[in-house]
Amino acid sequence: MVLLVTSDNVQFQVDKEVVERSVLIKNMLEDVGESDQSIPLANVSSSVLKKVIEYCEHHRGEPLPSADADQNQDETRKRTTDISEWDQKFITVDQEMLFEIILAANYLDIKSLLDVGCKTVANMIKGKTPEEIRRLFNIVNDFTPEEEAQIKKENEWAEDR
Amino acid sequence: MDKFTALEPTRLYASGSIKRTSRPSTVSRSIGKLPVDLHFLVLSHLPIPDIPAYARASKATADLSRNEKAWERRWNDLGITRHALDDTLDDLESKQKAKARSRSPPTIPVDSLDDEFGEFTSAPGMPSVPSLSAAFTSFADVPPGKHTFRLRYMRAHSILRKCLHPLLQPPHAVLSALTPLIGSSLLFQARSLRLLTFFLSPRIQPVRNWDILLAALKAAIDRFDASLLTAFDSADSRGDEVMMKEAAHASWQVWPGVGDWEMGKVWAEKREILYEQGRWNPLANFTNENTLDFTPMDEFMASIIHALEEYGTRAVLVFPPSAGVLIGFAERVANEVVGEYIAPLLTRAREISNALYLTAVAASFRESWRIVDVLTTVSSDFSGEGKNKAEDVVFMMFESHMDEYLDEEIESLKQAFEVVCKEWDRSTLALASHGASIQGQQNRFLNAQNPALMKRTVLASFTDMLLLPVTIVPRTVGAGVVAVGGAVGGAVGAVGTGMVQGIAMLNPQRWVGGAGSVDSAKEYASYRSAEGEGAIFEIGAYEDQEEGGEGLDDTIPPSSARDVTVITSTSAATTSLVPRTSGTPEPPATSVSTTKRKLVPTEKLDLLLSLDVALQLIHADRDALKRLETFASYPGWYGTRVRETIEEAFCEMLGVLSNRHLERGFGIATERMNSYKPAEHEETTNVAPLLQFFELVHVGDTIQSMVQVFFDKALAPYIDKTDFLNMVVREKKRFENTLDDCVAAGLNAGTQVLMNQVEHIILTLTKPREYYPPEDAPQELGPTKGCTEAIRCLDMHCKLLKGSTSKEVLEVFYQEVGIRLLAILQKHIKRQIISLNGGFQVIADLNAYYSFIVSLKVVSVTADFSHLKMLGHVFVVEEAKDLAQIVRDVTRYGGAYRPEDIYEFIQRRADWKKIEKTVDKTMYNLSFKEDCIIC
Repeated sequence: MVLLVTSDNVQFQVDKEVVERSVLIKNMLEDVGESDQSIPLANVSSSVLKKVIEYCEHHRGEPLPSADADQNQDETRKRTTDISEWDQKFITVDQEMLFEIILAANYLDIKSLLDVGCKTVANMIKGKTPEEIRRLFNIVNDFTPEEEAQIKKENEWAEDR
Repeated sequence: MDKFTALEPTRLYASGSIKRTSRPSTVSRSIGKLPVDLHFLVLSHLPIPDIPAYARASKATADLSRNEKAWERRWNDLGITRHALDDTLDDLESKQKAKARSRSPPTIPVDSLDDEFGEFTSAPGMPSVPSLSAAFTSFADVPPGKHTFRLRYMRAHSILRKCLHPLLQPPHAVLSALTPLIGSSLLFQARSLRLLTFFLSPRIQPVRNWDILLAALKAAIDRFDASLLTAFDSADSRGDEVMMKEAAHASWQVWPGVGDWEMGKVWAEKREILYEQGRWNPLANFTNENTLDFTPMDEFMASIIHALEEYGTRAVLVFPPSAGVLIGFAERVANEVVGEYIAPLLTRAREISNALYLTAVAASFRESWRIVDVLTTVSSDFSGEGKNKAEDVVFMMFESHMDEYLDEEIESLKQAFEVVCKEWDRSTLALASHGASIQGQQNRFLNAQNPALMKRTVLASFTDMLLLPVTIVPRTVGAGVVAVGGAVGGAVGAVGTGMVQGIAMLNPQRWVGGAGSVDSAKEYASYRSAEGEGAIFEIGAYEDQEEGGEGLDDTIPPSSARDVTVITSTSAATTSLVPRTSGTPEPPATSVSTTKRKLVPTEKLDLLLSLDVALQLIHADRDALKRLETFASYPGWYGTRVRETIEEAFCEMLGVLSNRHLERGFGIATERMNSYKPAEHEETTNVAPLLQFFELVHVGDTIQSMVQVFFDKALAPYIDKTDFLNMVVREKKRFENTLDDCVAAGLNAGTQVLMNQVEHIILTLTKPREYYPPEDAPQELGPTKGCTEAIRCLDMHCKLLKGSTSKEVLEVFYQEVGIRLLAILQKHIKRQIISLNGGFQVIADLNAYYSFIVSLKVVSVTADFSHLKMLGHVFVVEEAKDLAQIVRDVTRYGGAYRPEDIYEFIQRRADWKKIEKTVDKTMYNLSFKEDCIIC
């Protein structure tokens, strides 16, 4: 069992096997070795970590994607273009939480979860106008109208009309 | 806020990702709520039509949308480079251009993308994308490899998008609607369809309704493939290879890469060769006498090879090489036709006999191997590296038989050895019961003028024999043995043939004759025939043959020991019986190659070791090894097993040879020597068991050389000779050690026997007054008879060993002889009464012994004998005082004798009683005076 402590000082007792889906923690455990000391996760809050652990529990025992050649990663990505039903349900959270999960997955280095999150975000972008996208990501429009027209023209070829 | 300082890792991570992006981001590390690298990930999942909106969100996202890395990934997803579809893309473009030109302006509104394209080209110098526009203008003449991935993708996108609208048509019309866009050439159509499949993949999502279009495309491809199959079939029935090739290549292009490729499978299935099993009868390979004759299999394989050749050539011509149709077809032929043919053949062979089974396995494997040959000739794919694939076809087909075969091979080998050894034991036993007549023996090596030369001759012919090709596949009956063999020879079967062949090659007459000792050959000849046949029959268990053989034996009465028949190679080797009397040299012409002598085994055979047994063992082993060699190239697990079996076969042979044959033979010889009583035999110079033993040493040496040659020739390719941990090398070492030990033990006993004999000679031949001759007897100063006889005996035996044992062994032997002789002589002298005159006789004898010992060239013993020679002088000194001086002078005898020892010798003087007092006085007084310090 590994003891994790979140940014809001909540402790989580997690199976080693489960928690090792996080490459970050896995490497840490390998470096430090077995110890009773808790692992502080200073930029993950308890509510997010709960979700992340839920994900890890569900995918316990699945092979970790190896950090091999790009080709290999391409292959795995190819197979996982669709999001599985469970993951779909799991990721159906409010936008804030979705981003938090993505950030946590990125920080903890849980590749599959990160992929699921990014795909979900990509799905959210689908069909949205630039303004909607800005709102989604909380982006400020820093274009002049001319510049925006320019970009629009530049990418016109890709539009599906 | 403190807690957020711990965000450090993210920061590092993010900055690392910025480095990855080709252009440094102008905005902060995170765009909105997410870091740049996460945006990048999101972007890589974004469908193409959503990218414009995303790019318009902000400068940072616009930057990101131009990121080369993302576009490189999408470009690779198109698979254009991977599948060499560049040409197809170019062709599509040129077709579209041509069409656009021919259709003239009015069509432009329809092809709105063309418009867009034109706009781009006509808008050079756009500030944000200068490179883009510049590149766009030169699309036509710059090879696409030079563009950025984004541009390359854009080009492909615009070209391929124009091909999408026909997909929205009803299914049956899709293909015809596509035709104007993708041309009419089958191959080109296929490649275009393939390209479209890549384009419409979920990873690219080039248009919003890509999934619907992809389904439509897949349906179209299925239709396309079906039509190709029909075209192919009709072309096949017409024999139109060009059309076949076109259809096949086109179909291969649209094959999605999973499952079986329909066209290749269908083609292979239609080959008649797969369904003609009924035409062939595997059991036809057995003759009426239950032997093997693979002529039917030859025919069978010839037709298989023919079919493979014919279809193979066509397959190579018609199908794309990567499709592997030929290899698939060959596999099916191998498994379904050849495999099915072999299985009952082997089962039947097994029912008949194991030896037959072994031959059949090796033979059928060799036959099947021709598939590999034909595959390599038919297709260049299978030469060099690719040959493995062709070989695997046969290997895999044969794998099911391998376990049984390998086990059986060792098992039969053991049996064969057992038979050979038993036969030998029986014959030696029979001889023993007859009462072994020691005088009756012959000594080939010892009688030969030059044993070394003779050995070389034996080995040379042995080597020749090893180099003889072995017939793995029994073709026309008995072809392996005699060209004109006929039915009888064929009946011998492969095991017999190999043995007979080899034995015939090693015809003793040839080498013995060459060595100049003709009559000694007969013994070997008789053994050969007697045992050779026995072994053949028992191994092969050819009932009728055995009867036939015995019948022939019986027809020649043992008494008719004259040349009765000389059946030369026209008849089978086993049946050519050439009875002959000893001492009748065969004319060399009749002893060529396959002629074999038959001797009625009433001869007194007393050899305990037989080159023949060794030969037979080696032969049985060689046959097995040759069969195993057929499989030596097997890869993987079975390859290891084959090699292991080869090693095991050799070790088994060594084990049997050393334990059952050498040790036993030498053991009996040693025993015999130990029980030898010199007194019981009349002849004096000749110690029969010792001679026999020396002969054995020669034979043993020859056997070892044969094993060495066999090892070098047959086994060296499969093992590492320098690897001292290797089982075979170890076993061979053990074999050599055993032989050495045997020789050493025998030599020890032999020395004992020899010296007993010498002592016996000296004892019996020394007359009572040899050294105390009557005063008036005439003095002849020569060695006594006892002495000369003893020396003759010694000399003869010492010379015999030369050339057969190592120098070291020989030296030890000589030394031992010297030391023991010294002891015998000292004892002998002490038994005598020696007068002054007799003293000269003693000196003469001692001189003779000395010169003999010098001839042995063993330094230490020579010194001892020179001292002994000096000792002789004490018998010729008249004056007692002088004698005492000499006795006391220790240096005279090199320290070998103390005065006390010499005192014992001088007691044997005839005049001892007279001089005793003077000597005593002189010796001890003198010494008393001189040595005593107190006085």
